[in-house]
Order: sequence, then C-alpha cells, then structure tokens
Amino acid sequence: MHNSGRMVELYHVYKQYVKGDWALQDVNLSVSKGEFVFLTGASGAGKTTLLKLIFKDETPSKGQILVDSVNINLISAKHVFRLRRKIGIVFQDFKLIESMTVFENVALPLVVRGERRSVISRMVHSALSLVGLSHRKNYPPSHISGGEQQRVAIARAIVGNPKIIVADEPTGNLDTDLSIEVFKIFERINANGITIILATHDQHLLQLFPRRVIRLDKGRLVSGWDRETRA
Amino acid sequence: MKRMEISMDRALRNIWRNKLVSFLCLGIIAFTLMIFGLFEFISHNLDQFTKRFSQNVEAIFYLKDNVTDAEVDKLIARLRENLLVRKVNYKSSQLARTDFIREFPDLEFILAEFDASPFPASLEIAFHPQYNFDTKVSTLISEISQLPQVESREVNLEWAHKIVTVKRFISLVGAFLSTILIFVSVFIIYNVIKLNILYRREEIYIQELVGATRRYIRFPFVIEGALLGFSGGLLSILLLMATVRLFPAYAGLVFDLLRDVVTVDRIPHSIFLHLLVLGTVIGLFSALFALNRFLRPPKES
Repeated sequence: MHNSGRMVELYHVYKQYVKGDWALQDVNLSVSKGEFVFLTGASGAGKTTLLKLIFKDETPSKGQILVDSVNINLISAKHVFRLRRKIGIVFQDFKLIESMTVFENVALPLVVRGERRSVISRMVHSALSLVGLSHRKNYPPSHISGGEQQRVAIARAIVGNPKIIVADEPTGNLDTDLSIEVFKIFERINANGITIILATHDQHLLQLFPRRVIRLDKGRLVSGWDRETRA
Repeated sequence: MKRMEISMDRALRNIWRNKLVSFLCLGIIAFTLMIFGLFEFISHNLDQFTKRFSQNVEAIFYLKDNVTDAEVDKLIARLRENLLVRKVNYKSSQLARTDFIREFPDLEFILAEFDASPFPASLEIAFHPQYNFDTKVSTLISEISQLPQVESREVNLEWAHKIVTVKRFISLVGAFLSTILIFVSVFIIYNVIKLNILYRREEIYIQELVGATRRYIRFPFVIEGALLGFSGGLLSILLLMATVRLFPAYAGLVFDLLRDVVTVDRIPHSIFLHLLVLGTVIGLFSALFALNRFLRPPKES
C-alpha cells in the first residue's frame, strides 16, 4: 500500500537536551505515505526523541521537519492541535485515563474535536471492533489486561482517522504472543493506507514482519534512510 | 453550548474528585466573603441611620431679649431665601413658656416666680437633607451665630458628623480586612486549581496528544474556579443571613442602643449581588492566574 508522496521528512535534524550532548545528530529521513516503517536502536539511541519531534512534543535544536508537507517548525504552540489531529500516538505505557471507561478513552480524540454523539458512538464502535474489544467498552482500563489496554490505546490512535500513526515501543510491556497480535493490528491499520512509524528494539518481531527498518545509534541514523533525503 | 456542557461536567467531576479540598476551599471563601458582606451591611445601616437622622437635623438660634419683631421678620425672610434652608420656624418667648408647661406640667410652679417668660425667643431652622453634611451648612450656622441678634445656638448636627466619621472608619477597616481576605481567597482557589492541574498533568498531556485545543483543556479549570467562587458567594449569603438573624438577640443582650442604630430586619439585595459577583470574579481570576502559571504552552524552538 505504498502511495506516492512523502508523509514525514526530516532534514538535518539535531536535538540536544543538554549542551554538548546530542540526542539526535544530522538526521535525514523520509517516510512515504502509506508506508510501514520500523525505527530501531538500543536504549538511548534517540528513537523516542525522533518520534516526539514528529508530533511536536519536542522541537528540534536545528533542522526542518515536514509532516504531510507542512513544516511543523512553523506551527505555533496554539495551533499544534492541528498537527496532532493528523497523528495517532501509541505509547509503551498505554497512557489511558484511569477515570474513564474504555469507550470514553477511545472517544477522547473525537470529543476534543467537538464531534456529535452519534458520530462518536459510530466511530468508537468501529475502532473497538477493529482491535476486537467491543465487549470491553464499559470497563475501566485497570480492569482489562495489558494487551487489551494496548489495543485500547491503538483504537484511540485510529479513531480520528489519522494520516499517520506513531508508536513508541507499543509491545514493550507485552509478551511475544500479545506483541504479535498487536503487530497484526498495526498491519491491518496500515492496509487501510495509514502511514505507520513504529519504534521497537524487538529483533524477533522485526524478522517476523519484514519492513523497512530505520536504525539509530547514539543519535545518528545508521541505516534505513531514504536515499532521496540522505544527500 | 455542547463544549460548555462538557467543560461544566469536567469541572464538576474535578470538584467532586477533590471534594475535601474543594469543600474546605468553599468554606474559607464563604467566610471571607461573609466578612466582606458584614462590613458592607454595617456600612449600609450606618448610612441609613445617618440619612434618617439627617431628616431631623435642626439648628436652634436663641435670640437676645431686645430683638424687635421687625428684626425677626427680616431675619426670617433672609433665611428663607437661602437655598440650604428647608424650614424656618419662629418660637416666641411666650410660646416657649407654653410648650414648657405642656411638656412638664409638674414644673409649672417654677414659672410662677417669673412675671414674664424666662425663655428666650428662638429660630428653629431645618436644612435640606442633601446639604446636612455639607460644609456650606456649617458655614451658614457660624454666620448666623455671629449675628448681633443671636444670643446662643444649639445644633444636633455634630453628633451626626461623628456617626459619619465612625461609618468612614468602619468602611476603611472593612475595606482593609476585606482586601486581605480577598487575597486569601485568591490564594486558596489558586492553590486548589494548581493542585488539580498537577494531579491531572498526565490526563492533560494525553488530551494535548489527541489534539485538544488549549481552550478545551483550560476551560474546565476556569469554570471550576468560577463555580468555587460563585458557590462560596452563595454560601456566604447564607452565613450573612444567619449572622444578621442572630444579631438582635446578641445586641439586645449587650445594649439596646444598637437596636436603633442597626436595622437588622433586611439585608439589601445589592449586597447579595456583590457577594455573588465578587466570589465569581475571585474564582475566575484565581483560576486564570493558576492556569497561566502551571499550564503554559510548550516553549517554541
């Protein structure tokens, strides 16, 4: 499902949190629309930083980042919600709101957009059935398993019809069987044309699901870049 | 309207979730506003009292024995022309004697000792109420006192002036105390909102990540502040009413005079309105203050 055009482009991107200590150095990268890529590397290689730059949770120290052809450096803090509505985000620790039910958690991206109740209900049911959790919709997150919580987080990421999904170690807290199940869900989502960037250090899963692998080492891109953007 | 409904729902949930802190905060705000309301009520009553009192302010000028009727007529005519004067009443020496006998019949025998009336003739002057505390009235009284026909004077305005001074002092103390207590309220609501923001930091972060606008995230906190302030105002009204209801019993025990000074039967609606508006404004202001401090947008690169 490889569409023409680029969804994410990074040009000479640097990021440092502490002076002299670069979390990312001269990263050049592009991800095409509808592509499913893995981002891998050891702990501290810069995977999370790179993903955070894409959804503007962090800003680069140097360089340009384009998401869906928009230079996100130019988006003000006030308007960053427009970028976030194009991106579904999945975390290792799920980041579900404990005081809400599964349904309410999944509905959140639609609620913040002010969607009508009927639209919310329809889209949430659709997202929950894609991840196989319709029967758990009234449960609080603490009453379901870790694998199910991650599927809820995935449902929340896809419910708003994002153009891209960014997942940071989504299987980090799951056993192998559950991880495979979660990866299969991402494959199904990708089959609908949604671009996926998934960070993982699980080599076994990378072998099971052969895709382009972008490898980071100490903040530098060491393999998997797009040739067009390397220069 | 739907957003408002959602924000209101979230604000109420927040209050309920931190009910102990919220209700403690509510109690302190109510007490603070009640003190403000109490001072406003006392000030209002002193105002009412001085207004009522000023209706009866009179200056009595006792005339010398040798003043002729023509001189008296001229003096009355001159006073009636003055815009400050509402009423001029001449009481002859004989009329003063008759009044004395009517009021103190048992003492009539004393007057039998005198061939003529021992009371001096007098001019009783009432002023227009709006000028009673005006310096022009004091000046006029001094001018009349210095006339050659006037022997002495008796003015009950000085007492009213003292009441006004007391009222000003009470208003000043009230304003001072209220200012301090309002700052205390602002500080308390500010801290409640701050605690809520810190407590819900993860939830706010998630909302930001799923594309919530800043307004969507901030609005429930603003409503929460306003609700706390408004409810505090409402509670302070009940406290004020209870205090005022209990006051006559207390004042009766202390001294009866207070019963006359303070009309405790009714609190003006304007005070209720002031407490509600002030409470809401304090709540809004504190919430915005806390939001600007603890919910800043991320730094730009």
